[in-house]
Amino acid sequence: MAMEGPGPGRSPFFYGPDGRLIQVDAALEAVRRGSPTVGLKTKDYAILASQVRPARPLLTPSEKIFVLDDHAGATGSGYVGDLMNLIEEARVQAQRHRLVYDTPMDILSLAKHIGRYFHSFTLYTVRPPGASIILTGADPLGIQLYQVEPGGTYFSGQAAAVGQEAEKALEVIIQGYKEDMSLEEGIELARKAIGAAAGEEISVEYGIVKKPEGTFEKRPAS
Amino acid sequence: MTTTVAISSKEGVVLASDKRASKGFFIGSKDVQKIYPLDKSIAVTIAGLVSDAEYLINLAKAERKLLALGRDFPLTVRETAKLIANLSYRALKAYQPYYAELLVAGVDADGPHVYSSDPSGSLIKEEFASSGSGSPLAYGVMESSYSKEASLEEIKTLAEKAVRAAMERDPGSGNGVVIVTIPLSGGQTVVSKGVN
Repeated sequence: MAMEGPGPGRSPFFYGPDGRLIQVDAALEAVRRGSPTVGLKTKDYAILASQVRPARPLLTPSEKIFVLDDHAGATGSGYVGDLMNLIEEARVQAQRHRLVYDTPMDILSLAKHIGRYFHSFTLYTVRPPGASIILTGADPLGIQLYQVEPGGTYFSGQAAAVGQEAEKALEVIIQGYKEDMSLEEGIELARKAIGAAAGEEISVEYGIVKKPEGTFEKRPAS
Repeated sequence: MTTTVAISSKEGVVLASDKRASKGFFIGSKDVQKIYPLDKSIAVTIAGLVSDAEYLINLAKAERKLLALGRDFPLTVRETAKLIANLSYRALKAYQPYYAELLVAGVDADGPHVYSSDPSGSLIKEEFASSGSGSPLAYGVMESSYSKEASLEEIKTLAEKAVRAAMERDPGSGNGVVIVTIPLSGGQTVVSKGVN
């Protein structure tokens, strides 16, 4: 639609005739082509999980779970280059917060910052990042989980899913979710969700943050 | 000019100051506020250039409000003190320092804290601290009488004694004492007393 060409006095960017942001819709479409990625949390821990898939044989697949700071981590789906850029933005902001306040950055502030970063692209004739990001971490309010989308909106909750067949993955988590499930049960549920969305033999990389340590740790692909 | 003190105890913190504002060798005002609340559980004392100190406090208040609104919980005492030290440091490096020494004191989830910050941007955690021209005299009193085990009521008495000692011999300090008490539960009590 963005390529239809400008009508008289109308830019091909910004809003479409139906009032939607064309570039943002296209970015969301790009996210839907990414590998299945989920996040889930209980009050004691949060798990990030993402399918890792080498682009061709004999190639090491790209990293999908990222440490942001000691207490926080992220994953996402969409264009990996865009995702890496978002990760770097979050990492820099987390360190900036430490410099100014001498405390680890809370996850809501991180989500808001990435939301604003996304949003800034919607105001100019530039391409918004084609990636959604799931943030997690431990802060004074507990274990946190946020999802941030290309339009700049963010959501928090017990579960998040992005990438291809995200609805299927989310459905599996909704069906299997228990408030008091153990960490291993949580990891199994995340794997099942990604399996349902991928529909093939899968390799999954995990990131975990749990009480009382509150440190974000990666668990290699298996 | 000025004498201010801040003391911590296991039951909370106390801040105290004199009331004199000097204009060279002239007493500009006999009843000025030198202790500013930032919220229910944190307050700062100021010494130095009043305009700079007030501006620095207003900046810190605005930054604190913005961060607290964004993340849904208030700043700790250390976060507040570090923020003020950073503002001071940035100004120093721009050759426009704030001529103010601030004592930041309060209570948070980790307990009572006293910090001292100056125009260089340094930040020092103390059990008790003093600022202003009368601070050497106030330190003498606090050094000889401070105890970690003291109750809130005892450090309140000590704070007043320290400021009064300074008022006796420092010409830049005088005209009465203001004492602010912040117990562990938060909430501030302000007491303003005369010369004697």
